[in-house]
Amino acid sequence: MTPRRTRFYLDKQNGKFLGVCAGIADYTGIDVLLVRVGYLLLNFATGFFGGFGILAYFIVAWVADKKPRELDYEDREDRQFWQKVRARPGASIRDVRSSFRDIDRRLADVEMHITSQNRRLADEIEALR
Amino acid sequence: MDAPVFIVTIVAILATLVGLPWMIFHYITQWKKNSSITVEDENLLDELHALARRLEDRMNTIERIVAADSPGFRPSLRNERDEDYELTRTAEREVQTSRPRRRDH
Repeated sequence: MTPRRTRFYLDKQNGKFLGVCAGIADYTGIDVLLVRVGYLLLNFATGFFGGFGILAYFIVAWVADKKPRELDYEDREDRQFWQKVRARPGASIRDVRSSFRDIDRRLADVEMHITSQNRRLADEIEALR
Repeated sequence: MDAPVFIVTIVAILATLVGLPWMIFHYITQWKKNSSITVEDENLLDELHALARRLEDRMNTIERIVAADSPGFRPSLRNERDEDYELTRTAEREVQTSRPRRRDH
């Protein structure tokens, strides 16, 4: 299986035990502490429900793969981008488009400035003749 | 068994056995539908995202160079992510204040 950005992986580096909660936090963007506390609270609230929550934890740890090295994020912005892609791909595609439009607009500003500056310089040279 | 207790029991059993899985599967299908981008699309998005970030960095550099060369140029929207944002702004202001003085002489 090729590594994918939109698949769930275990996050063993940031994990406390097997990295399931850290993986969920990495996947969704929810804080890892909240995920852990939520998991524990759910377990306590259901009275451990015959150990189902704990069993589910081990099943997830067994089924899911460890996160491949090439999928490491460059920085925090990169991480947030991919978390958004997982939640709403359409919105993040529109985000990329809007950033391209922003670059286009800024480039047009710079271009206009430089061309107008050159015209002014040409006018001054004309005046010196 | 009282009739109300019986009804409540039935409702509770139905809710946990039918309602809960139904709700879970409803959200799972919704989530699948939402996040169904193919491998090619994902790679394309990855590439475009990286390209956009690179272009933005280059754009920041160009704007900084142009602003340093000519004080009349005001970049309309600066990226707040830039670490030396404040530094360059103060540098521009110094250039701007020093230029008219030179013209006075």
